[in-house]
Amino acid sequence: MSFDSIVTGRTSGGRLLFSAIAALCLTIMYAPVLYLLLASLNPDAQLGLVPPSRYSLTWYLALLEDRRLAGALEESALVGLGTAALATPIGLSAALAYRAMTRMRGIFLLVVLSAMLVPGTMEGLGLSAALRVVGLTPSWVTITIGHLLWTLPFAAVVSLIGLSAVKPSTIAAARDLGAGPMRAFVDITLPLMRANLISSFVFAFLLSLNEHARAYYLVGRQNTLPLYMFGAMNSGASPTIYAFSGAVIVISIAVVAVVFAGLAGQRSEGRDERQPRPADRGHTS
Amino acid sequence: MLDESGGHENVGARWRPTTFLLALPSLAVLVGLGFIPLALMATWSFWSFDPDTYWIKPAWSLASYAALLEDGRATVFLRTAGLAALTTAVSTLLAVPAATVVGLMSGPRRAALLLALFTIPFFTSGLVRAFAWRLVLGRHGVVNNALVSLGIVQTPVEWLLFSDFAVVLGMVAAYLPFAIIPIVLAFARIEHSVIRASLDLGAGFWTMFSTIVLPLVMPGIVAGFLFVFVVAVGTSMEVQLLGGAGASSISIMINDVLRVVNFPLAFAIATVVVTLLIVLITVANRALRLSRLFESLGI
Amino acid sequence: MAHHSGNGPALGVFSQLTRRRLVHNGVLGAAALATGSLGIPRAARAADEINFWATGTLDIGDDGWKIVANDSGVKVNFTDNGNDPGPVVAKLAVGNANDIYDIGGLQGGSEKELARRGLIAPWDLSQIPNYASLWQWAKDIPYLTYEGKTYGIPTVINADSIIALRDKAGSVDSYGVIFDPKLKGKTAMEDAWINSVIFTAIYLKNSENAKIAEPGNLTADELGLVMEFLIKHKRDGQFRTFWNGWEQGLQLVANQEVWVMTGWEPIVYAARMRGVDCYYAVPKEGYEAWGNNTILLKGAVNRGRSKAAHRLVNALLSGFYGCKLGMLRGYVVPTDNNVAYATANSSAFDPARVGKLVEHVKKKFAGKVYWQNTRPDNFQLYETWWQRLRNA
Repeated sequence: MSFDSIVTGRTSGGRLLFSAIAALCLTIMYAPVLYLLLASLNPDAQLGLVPPSRYSLTWYLALLEDRRLAGALEESALVGLGTAALATPIGLSAALAYRAMTRMRGIFLLVVLSAMLVPGTMEGLGLSAALRVVGLTPSWVTITIGHLLWTLPFAAVVSLIGLSAVKPSTIAAARDLGAGPMRAFVDITLPLMRANLISSFVFAFLLSLNEHARAYYLVGRQNTLPLYMFGAMNSGASPTIYAFSGAVIVISIAVVAVVFAGLAGQRSEGRDERQPRPADRGHTS
Repeated sequence: MLDESGGHENVGARWRPTTFLLALPSLAVLVGLGFIPLALMATWSFWSFDPDTYWIKPAWSLASYAALLEDGRATVFLRTAGLAALTTAVSTLLAVPAATVVGLMSGPRRAALLLALFTIPFFTSGLVRAFAWRLVLGRHGVVNNALVSLGIVQTPVEWLLFSDFAVVLGMVAAYLPFAIIPIVLAFARIEHSVIRASLDLGAGFWTMFSTIVLPLVMPGIVAGFLFVFVVAVGTSMEVQLLGGAGASSISIMINDVLRVVNFPLAFAIATVVVTLLIVLITVANRALRLSRLFESLGI
Repeated sequence: MAHHSGNGPALGVFSQLTRRRLVHNGVLGAAALATGSLGIPRAARAADEINFWATGTLDIGDDGWKIVANDSGVKVNFTDNGNDPGPVVAKLAVGNANDIYDIGGLQGGSEKELARRGLIAPWDLSQIPNYASLWQWAKDIPYLTYEGKTYGIPTVINADSIIALRDKAGSVDSYGVIFDPKLKGKTAMEDAWINSVIFTAIYLKNSENAKIAEPGNLTADELGLVMEFLIKHKRDGQFRTFWNGWEQGLQLVANQEVWVMTGWEPIVYAARMRGVDCYYAVPKEGYEAWGNNTILLKGAVNRGRSKAAHRLVNALLSGFYGCKLGMLRGYVVPTDNNVAYATANSSAFDPARVGKLVEHVKKKFAGKVYWQNTRPDNFQLYETWWQRLRNA
């Protein structure tokens, strides 16, 4: 998909109102996050804000030596990437199947969505009982299975949205030109779905990164990050966990922005977003 | 032949092998893996607690389900659903304009920046974020300190924390990205030429928005609605950290019940939750004609 | 693989740099690190490993476990089990805990059901010489044994009461302060019927002369009485909130969100270290006593790790662990070996401080204490009533 500031000119207060609401969204979302960032610069053991003159990187330095946290982070990254790598293509296939069906659609959709409806604790418990019977040792593999079940419905629905943006006429045109169904899919549909598939991947990864109820019952001896955090909060957290959140914010602002900017930059045709565009009817995005 | 248009070349109920192949991976995972816990859960909910072994015995009974109607357990279902619905409504109301800013009023770089900003908080631990709200909303937290020092209030405002307000605020803050991202993705359905055409023809912003944008991004809105509601129903963090004394949710109740090894009751709760949600989705499916919603546009 | 953790006070004279280098070289517990060990010449380096699954508050950090490894020849891999008996028992019963862990640590009361289901194995006390050094009343706690065999070794015991902010609440000597209308909206209790019901029952029994026999094991009628009392106060808005877990409890006190609350003693120590003027009350109605006990998982026996498990538990009772945990958290292992160890190793631990801590705990137990039990006779009724409280 391409982004373009196509609503130029007068909006009867629309732009102002919508921008204000977007700013409100960001405020609400970032209030706790910014607090954590600022509070993590407080060298005292007590979580709280201090004047900037006292800012210090004490807890960030302590973070570098926290091997338990590093282990948990590694486990979560492994599980998250595995989950996302599996959920994205399987979700896409489910979305394609849904669209190709007619009468079975309703049931199929329910089956796909069913995995997200089960309370996490119960799913984890049930799955661990089942996996025990099969003899699978609990490890990041078992957690990935549990998380795959959890994230697959999300990935499928996201793919459905993406597919609904692919115009049939585009496909028909390709087919008229002689492309087989596979070719049409790979050369036309997939590129159009690129932003969507990336979103699906990131979604699944983030969902897995934050999931603890299922993970509790499926985990081996190495805790995932959320389980580590829960344990730390329950038995005495060193402020390194707040520094960790601060570090994540700073690093991810860099990483995600670069990824998204690269993506959007490729799709744009170098148009300046401030200039009003010439009338260009018939131009498909 | 595979047809992504989702309608044109379908011929009645003929079962095509490609459709089956497409459905196979997800079915394998969901039915193969996911079905077993569900089946275990449902079956075991009808068994009884065995006080000799502290486990369950296959004595079929509806006792667990009957227990759901007592001790205010049904209230927990209603409260959880209510808070989730409120969170979802607020999130959607905020998400639609926010997503419109990204999808309609931003060039590629600004859109990328906004999308990144909306996603980043989710990389941090939800537990730590919810905990941070306690320090922001508390009696001597950031907000109250500001209110008192600015003279707006004399004493700290108590209901900012450990109240439904705090819970909904915490949940909205945590789950807004779930609502925003799907809507932004749905903007891909809108051809910019259509927007421009309507504006050129003299339609005001609001007319254009309500007649063109909203209907077209509806799949995204519905998806966002589903995501936020499902996650909000299943969460326990915000309620536990930000709710009042002993506030409850379905997940908290399940843990309470597990703590006393009343497994049949725990499974009954889960079965009821899944059933109710399935009913809800089925009704919504019929009412909103979801299958039509996700179809491609045009010919 | 040796892990290095930033937790815990520095040991002896070794800087972080030295420790990291030793870790990198894979030198596990070199003699240099054994500043705290008894200096007994070790037997040939044993490769025994035990996976210890217990409450996070029992953790003494990687450097601490290294010393235990030196002394016992058993390497400990510690994992936090979250301390909530519910998920722990569920994971043992239905999940995979027996496949991945060898010994567990849990609040007392569940030993009977775990034994009945064959999920844990009895301890062979002949392999634990230090068991004899345990204080008698710790050994006598009823739920530790089942059918004549010992299933739980009391590892940490303490007596809980009230945390109070001195400048806000003044001098507190009774649980009545939690229910005092003058402090409405300024009090909190733990979101756990295991503790909160006992505290309320202790209060009602001793200060309001309610007909309660055993606060730790209420009959259906007694339970109704106690819970109705709590429900009434909740409806009146007496409680600011219920807290769940260390960080939540500590934050309530440290931010003066509440002025008094029932809670765990280490929170007082941690809060004081963070500059908060609070203290642990000595209530006239008495304390709630609890024990965190080590259990032997069946899986360990099946894997042939029983001997190593016994050696480890013996080491936990030998003195170093008690000193270390005491200095870290203020928790006490119920044996006189702690003071003996500190006296013999006064460069690592101050014997006066350790002695003071031990005396403090002993004194509490010499007075009125009522034992916590995660499985009272009517335990499922407790949960039912707690639901009613939640929905009140």
